[in-house]
Amino acid sequence: MLYLQILINGILLGGLYACIAVGFSLVWGVLNVINILHGSFIVLGAYLAFFAYTGLGVHPYLFAPIAALPLFILGYAVQLVVINKVIEAPVLVTMTATFGLTLLLDNLMLVAFQANFRKVSLSPPLGIIDLSDTFPALDLIVPVDRLASMLFALLFVGLLYLLLRRTAVGRAIVAVRMDRYAATLMGVNTEKVFAVTFALGAALAGAAGALLSPIFPISPLAGTAYLGKAFVICVLGGLGSVSGALVGGLVLGILESFGALFFGPEHSLTLSFTVLILFLLVRPNGIMGKRGFV
Amino acid sequence: MSLRNLRPVVSAVPGASHLRIAVLAAVSVLMAPGSMTCGYTAELPIRIGAPLPLTGALSPEGVKLQQGYELWKDTVNATGGIAVGTVKRPIEIVYYDYQSATPKAVQLAEKLATDDKVDFMFSPFGSGASKAASTVSERYGIPTLAPTASSSEVYDQGYKNLFGTFTSNDTLSEPMADIVKAKAPNAKRVAILARNDLYPLALGQEFEKSSKKRGLEVVYFEKYAINTLDHASALTEIKAAKPDWIIATGYINDMILIRKQMADLGIKAQIVTMINAPAYQEFIDATGPLADNVTSATWWHPAVRYESKDAFGSSAKYTEMFQKKFNALPDFTNATGSSVGVVLQMAIEQAGSVDRDKVRETLAKGGFDTFFGPLSFNSVGQAVSYVPPVFQIQKGKPVVIYPDVIKGGELQLGVR
Repeated sequence: MLYLQILINGILLGGLYACIAVGFSLVWGVLNVINILHGSFIVLGAYLAFFAYTGLGVHPYLFAPIAALPLFILGYAVQLVVINKVIEAPVLVTMTATFGLTLLLDNLMLVAFQANFRKVSLSPPLGIIDLSDTFPALDLIVPVDRLASMLFALLFVGLLYLLLRRTAVGRAIVAVRMDRYAATLMGVNTEKVFAVTFALGAALAGAAGALLSPIFPISPLAGTAYLGKAFVICVLGGLGSVSGALVGGLVLGILESFGALFFGPEHSLTLSFTVLILFLLVRPNGIMGKRGFV
Repeated sequence: MSLRNLRPVVSAVPGASHLRIAVLAAVSVLMAPGSMTCGYTAELPIRIGAPLPLTGALSPEGVKLQQGYELWKDTVNATGGIAVGTVKRPIEIVYYDYQSATPKAVQLAEKLATDDKVDFMFSPFGSGASKAASTVSERYGIPTLAPTASSSEVYDQGYKNLFGTFTSNDTLSEPMADIVKAKAPNAKRVAILARNDLYPLALGQEFEKSSKKRGLEVVYFEKYAINTLDHASALTEIKAAKPDWIIATGYINDMILIRKQMADLGIKAQIVTMINAPAYQEFIDATGPLADNVTSATWWHPAVRYESKDAFGSSAKYTEMFQKKFNALPDFTNATGSSVGVVLQMAIEQAGSVDRDKVRETLAKGGFDTFFGPLSFNSVGQAVSYVPPVFQIQKGKPVVIYPDVIKGGELQLGVR
């Protein structure tokens, strides 16, 4: 029963991880930009959700698509004003550019929101599903807010999948992801595709922040932890694919949960980074490999 | 703002021209009417170096400490400054942000000692950084007050210049264990989850000792890594171990997450003790009803009642003055920031000099009646002279449950 509970914990955590990573993976895969800003975008989304809930009473789950909108605009602007200028430069340059922007955004948030830790404390709380109530043999617990956050995250990921498969913009993104020069020859405006993709990545981060706001404490500098997870997930799952982020997130969640059980909670982070190094050595394209974006 | 305040800024500008320095000097003179009207510009200020984590993971604590320093400084400067013999000398605190990175704190302590040539120093935040930076003060013989170093390991190097206002970690675990033993006689099984970090881990180990000493069985003891985003596995194991008393140590973000995940897994226990977070209002705000009946211990609390011979007069007056300045109740981190100030001030005033050797001797003698509590230090420099209060969050408010003289209620059992 203990193992089953740990598995449930791992799957729920994995769902949250997938939601953290999918925007990061999209940007990295399509633009070849390692967007260090991603973690801070998530934090910004979480703050927006926090203030929407405490100030206006808007539930974070309803607010998630609304949080995505300002982040989309911010992402579009950042890409247009900064990233586009250095998009042709080696990956280290764009990484440094986004790193600089992260310092700026983090410190602006520090000034605006102060360093206090906050959290959306849902009232009434969503509570837990105790499976032993219905099946006395199953002593298992499922926290409803984690489950709901995970399901909403999956919904957003599903919408992204549809967008990439069914719309002209989406197909353009996939085309640029596969071969940007061929896409240019086919009449795709790559600059615009880059800007839209970056903005989409930011929007997903904003929505993720709102979904995570009832779960993790919010502070202006929490972004680094999310970014670290996003990195590992992308390498595990395979870069730049929706399914890769999903699989990577779930694998990391389950791995960390069982790692904490078998090796002690102090080693779960070590374990995930050890697996990261192993994957880089043995299977650098990740579990899902590197194919077309979807 | 005086020109001295600007010095680190000026020196940080590469290639700053003479013109720029002249302009800054002119501006600083123009901006200093406040200090002139106080009439102490004739006396040189007493300069204290304070490396603080104003940005980075520890920034909430860094800001709180700074508020404590500032309240003390402003209160004393409003009366003309610290009385050194027959003259009053204003206080000047030279701050540097070490960005929550301990090695940087040590570098900046070195800079404060050699470049800024401060008279005295306040340690950086926490046991680890205080210990690391204490080497610098020892090398240059600068008496240094540590506001937030409680682990006895900080004081085991035989240094003469370090004085800490926090009593050792076992003064938090021992009274708590006594209360559990007395009020919850059925509690037999203890689970401890400690952050793998100098102070929280040392504290966890003290709780383990205090529990075992009283015949309680420690059924779970694990460490979790710094920056852990998920405690579900550890808590699932704790739940399976069926403890009566759950103890978690760490900082506020860890405690918020652990408390939330305990509820996520339906964990119930007679007693839940968390240190440090519940002393902060932010913990109560962030966890809501989950904060109820969580116990904690801390070195100072607005409910304590000490009469003092320092710049504040009493704990109650301190609380009042803090509220007036910052529009919030002071917590123990704010208070300890002010406590190192008043102790240093009393030592200088008693010594009648800012001579480091004399001040060090006076500090070592102890016997300071402060709003933070009576302060005297043991032979290695750690405070040993007061009893830290134990408290419990009851209906969203912290209630002191120990010691008896300041107690506001009894321990309530049951956390769900």
